[in-house]
Amino acid sequence: MSLVNFTTREITCKIVYYGPGRSGKTTNLHYVYGRVPETRRGRMVSLATQTDRTLFFDFLPIDLGQISGFTTRFQLYTVPGQVYYNATRRLVLQGSDGVVFVGDSQARQLDENLESLQNLQSNLLEHGVDVRAMPLVMQYNKQDLPRELILTQPELDDALNFRGVPSFAADALHGTGVFETLKSISELVLKRLAAGSPA
Amino acid sequence: MSTRAVESWTLQPLTDFVKEASVRLVLVLTPAGQVLAQSGFSRAVDVMSAAALGAAIVATTAELARQLRQPPFAALNHQGHRHGIFLATFVTERGTLAVLAVYDLDISSIGLVQLFYEQLAADLKAASPKGAVPKQVLAADFERELTDSLNTLFGR
Repeated sequence: MSLVNFTTREITCKIVYYGPGRSGKTTNLHYVYGRVPETRRGRMVSLATQTDRTLFFDFLPIDLGQISGFTTRFQLYTVPGQVYYNATRRLVLQGSDGVVFVGDSQARQLDENLESLQNLQSNLLEHGVDVRAMPLVMQYNKQDLPRELILTQPELDDALNFRGVPSFAADALHGTGVFETLKSISELVLKRLAAGSPA
Repeated sequence: MSTRAVESWTLQPLTDFVKEASVRLVLVLTPAGQVLAQSGFSRAVDVMSAAALGAAIVATTAELARQLRQPPFAALNHQGHRHGIFLATFVTERGTLAVLAVYDLDISSIGLVQLFYEQLAADLKAASPKGAVPKQVLAADFERELTDSLNTLFGR
């Protein structure tokens, strides 16, 4: 849940990057970490296995600066994508203000994407949150792979984007779509906050 | 040492705890990793990293206890070479809160921290708002300025 301090004029929001294993959630955070000036970000914390798969979460705090006089900070988290880490995914999702679903654009990964979306819905429900009420942005990663291996953005929208939320084609390794996605979810979360909804 | 509170009712109990227990760093946080008050940190982003890790420990130990059908861990303590780390949770009207404290072993001790933690938890329980807190809303120009600010940050 976001924290707004009207006395010190500070806002802190939690955004979770969700999606199947190896879809590029950690890569998104690495790219943001590499491009945001040091003065606007903290250390990136990765709780990973010895083979660099996310074990618990990655965490990156960033400072968006002043928005209408409020110092605005975002906490970016990733979850472990592998199916058997569901307990930790549920823990990381707790108190989130917005979700970026990072899908893998490869045609053969479509079932994994769908399974992960269903898993997101059920984990949010466990926290008493309806997925339809949660600010959500879709990112279709790995669009740089050969055409014959991947689905296009319209095809992925048809298959995954049931709510018609903002969606972005991305190549997180090289940064395509990374900031567009982050900007879009930031906008959704903060507009919801401005509207007075419980984030 | 600077002590800051996001929610003002936490400030006095935390200030007292810092003074009495002689701790170097303290966070009062929610289980979701949001900071309600802190003392001793110089950068807000460092506070958030510590809070995320503290919340992760709270979450994993609570889940471990739940799966073993045991009550949640009351407190955790680590004694290093120079610093000690103390983490504990308690329930208030504001919900479950956690306290993460780091202390220098040459000026404080786990006994001292534990003793004054009990007082801190009691003070925070007594001070926490009862019932729903009246909701304030952001100014009307917030949304208007949002797009400009995001464009500036993301360079688009």
